[in-house]
Amino acid sequence: MTQIGFYFDQTRCTGCFTCSVACKDWHDIPAGPINWIRINSIERGNFPKLFLAYLTITCNHCADPPCIKACPKSAINKREKDGIVIVDREKCVGKDECGFKCLKVCPWDSPQFSNEFNSKMEKCDLCVDRLEKGQQTICVEACPMYALDVGPMEKLQEKYGNIVETEGFLNNDKINPSIIFKPKKT
Amino acid sequence: MVNDKADVDDISEKVINTGCCHDCGGRCVLKAHVKNGRITRIESDTDSEPQLRACLRGRAYRQRVYSDERLKYPLRRVGERGEGKFEKISWEEALNHVASNILEIKEKYGNSAILFVPGGGNQGMLHGVTPVGLMLNQIGGYTRMWGAPSYEGALFASMATYGTMMTGNARDDLLNSNLIIMWGWNPANTVWDPGTSLWLARAREKGTKIIAVDPIFTDSAAVLADDWIPIRPGTDTAMLIAMANVIITEKLQDQQFIDKYTVGFDLYKDYVLGREDGQPKTPRWAEEITTVPEKIIIKLAREYATSKPAALIAGWGPARTTFGEQYSRAANVLCAITGNIGINGGYASGFMRAYYSRESRSSVGKKKEGPIGRGNEKIKRKKPRPQDNLVDFNAPPRKDALYKLRGGTNPASTRVHFNDYYNLILQGTKGGYPADIKMAYICGTNRLNQYSNVNKGIKALKSLEFIVTHEQFMNPTAKFADIILPANTFMERNDIAVPWLGSPYYIYLNKAIDSLYESKSDLEICRELSKKLGIKSSLLDLPEDQILRIFTSPRKDIKSYDKMKKNGYCKVEVEEPFVAFKKQIKDPENFPFPTISGKIEIYCEHIAEKNNPLMPAIPKYLSHGEHYDSLLAEKYPLQLITPHNKRRTHSSLHNVPWLEEIEPHAAWINPIDASIRSIRSGDLVDIFNDRGRVRIPAKVTERISPGVLCVYQGEWYNPDENGIDLGGCANVLTQDSYSPGGAFPLNSSLVEAELYQKKQPEGKL
Repeated sequence: MTQIGFYFDQTRCTGCFTCSVACKDWHDIPAGPINWIRINSIERGNFPKLFLAYLTITCNHCADPPCIKACPKSAINKREKDGIVIVDREKCVGKDECGFKCLKVCPWDSPQFSNEFNSKMEKCDLCVDRLEKGQQTICVEACPMYALDVGPMEKLQEKYGNIVETEGFLNNDKINPSIIFKPKKT
Repeated sequence: MVNDKADVDDISEKVINTGCCHDCGGRCVLKAHVKNGRITRIESDTDSEPQLRACLRGRAYRQRVYSDERLKYPLRRVGERGEGKFEKISWEEALNHVASNILEIKEKYGNSAILFVPGGGNQGMLHGVTPVGLMLNQIGGYTRMWGAPSYEGALFASMATYGTMMTGNARDDLLNSNLIIMWGWNPANTVWDPGTSLWLARAREKGTKIIAVDPIFTDSAAVLADDWIPIRPGTDTAMLIAMANVIITEKLQDQQFIDKYTVGFDLYKDYVLGREDGQPKTPRWAEEITTVPEKIIIKLAREYATSKPAALIAGWGPARTTFGEQYSRAANVLCAITGNIGINGGYASGFMRAYYSRESRSSVGKKKEGPIGRGNEKIKRKKPRPQDNLVDFNAPPRKDALYKLRGGTNPASTRVHFNDYYNLILQGTKGGYPADIKMAYICGTNRLNQYSNVNKGIKALKSLEFIVTHEQFMNPTAKFADIILPANTFMERNDIAVPWLGSPYYIYLNKAIDSLYESKSDLEICRELSKKLGIKSSLLDLPEDQILRIFTSPRKDIKSYDKMKKNGYCKVEVEEPFVAFKKQIKDPENFPFPTISGKIEIYCEHIAEKNNPLMPAIPKYLSHGEHYDSLLAEKYPLQLITPHNKRRTHSSLHNVPWLEEIEPHAAWINPIDASIRSIRSGDLVDIFNDRGRVRIPAKVTERISPGVLCVYQGEWYNPDENGIDLGGCANVLTQDSYSPGGAFPLNSSLVEAELYQKKQPEGKL
């Protein structure tokens, strides 16, 4: 089975948020708590010896996603052909009724919910609409630093290596997130 | 123009090729998806490299276009100026009102009573300030001002040293540098031509060492640089001079280059070594001033002098200080004495324009042609042309201007500096100013917010008989207008934007949607207003596209206008990356520098003629009354700096939710300064000096140098009943003065900060 995933070059990310805004525009997500792609900053040290790195966080479309097992309604599925993890919002019962079961098991807080009562889960769908038309995901296409890439994991690994951890990101080899990195060194 | 390659599901959806053109370092491709006359999504450049990828600001543009806060119809003020109370009126009524006021003031006081207050809010060549200037010239002109807050210090220094603004190298040439010094330069946030940060990253990946000098650990310093050297604001000149001291003392200068291409090195050497004033400008001397340790200054000087080719990129921020032009001059001179000019991988600093088809026709590289200045009496025209402003037509040059040189942006005949216009309004001819101003015509600018000393500005704007503005939003400046004419956005009209500084391309902005509500383009407004002003025929009467063809006809690098319109851009093919002064260095006999001496002027005779000790002919470090070592620093011990942030373009895009949420407005303060004032992150703090008081949350961070406080410029002024600004507009605190070379002292204010209110705990049940 092919697994589509991410590559993130942490040495290049300037924390500009272009990917995040492009994602919200493409998927028509208002400003607020829902962020299919988030940007964390990792800051360490004291003036003038400082370290700062950024990390983009999406859904990692894990090889063995814990959210699928946690969902009481089988609303989350992994596509056979490309391993993209998709949520069926019709089936999702809503955060308050369910108690955030998917969010609780996700190490990266990828499931997103609005502030509305019993809102349903949504998250990065790897721009399936775009990928199916042969386009890149909107975040990859938007990044002014060419710091992101999306593609079959074997191809990404061939091109960029197979580093699975970086500043701010701990791997979990039980669930095997589909993401590799060029880490920023301290 | 419709993108025929667009891959869209719905045939009712079109993709319009347009672009982003506010006053940032960009000008990027935008592709607007339009369905049923409404923009549904925005993409950017997906075509050939180098792509002109938009940043977050362009990507968020849909929310700006469809903001509920857009001005929908013409407004007439009913409350006090600044109060924000207006009533809806018709276009007919509004334009009649504006025309009758202009004509009455012109009749009663003359054209000099009309002040045109233009701004860079729109960077297209057709809309924004262009039609307003043309229109006002057709009725006899207006009082105009000189000086640009962004770069005036860098421009003066560029002209004085090199005689031109064309001093930059193409970005892809950075790959040839062994060392890049980003001095007060944060392209990760300010863009500085699309692709700049990317080229810096690529250079570093290739092995180029990059060092950032900045009071803030910026995103550029953190991500693009290997090392960060924090420096006390306003003291950059001292460090650059001390670097020259190291280079001269250790004989690391490129003496051959100096002898062949420069004038005045010995005079500078005398100053640097202390022969002139008894004070050698040693790294030890500079450490006291800059807080940068002596050994770091020595190391950087040696590294720069011995890593040829090396690029010292002197950003404009440190030149936005009192005597900011001295910093830029000192940086230019350092580039010269190390021989890093005119070679691949080097850099001349200066104004740093690296591509501009219009200017490249004139000043650089012409054979044996003496410099002639705009405003020089020798080029007096007998008859004015329609585009000439009769108010200062043929006026003698301003004494402090470098009027013998040409190629700068400021007409030397213009009398009033832009940061002095509140004094112009308040004092008039009685105060020695050249006019008594009765009305302001404001376009493309949130001027009150974006120029120094807001509280004085309020007094000045309140004193006028009439104010009109073209605006898209009810910003702090618009609240002072008598009539607000609702302007449309660049998505609602055709225009062309030239690149910012260093990239060979144009953006064609195809109209994506019809004007929203009752808004009109600046061109349409001026077209209609011109008729009411009695202007019989005007260039403005022509269709948009025809005027754009006329405007672009002298630009020989646009091979096909129609292709540019269709694609939404014209990427100019250049044979090799532009390197400033390559010809001057290779063939100095035939290609002298466009200065008076024909050489790089370390010592500038044209400046010496001014005989002004505050404008020395060689670059010097000077202190001033609002510097860290002044008496005022006892009362106001923190140095305020007001840089650009990543989520706005100056004050444009202030009110876009997608942008607002990523970085809440806050005053940056170092933990050392915060703790002695009992300030924690999130607390509301008052930042104040004699000019005003701002109340915003604090962000306590190690990323800013001790003794420095940062309020990012562009947040909108929002006073409470006591005049305390709850918005956090940096210019409430800045000084409305200017340097002899024209630099705006936007980073030379002293302030104090105090806790106003502890952060409220998060709401709990």
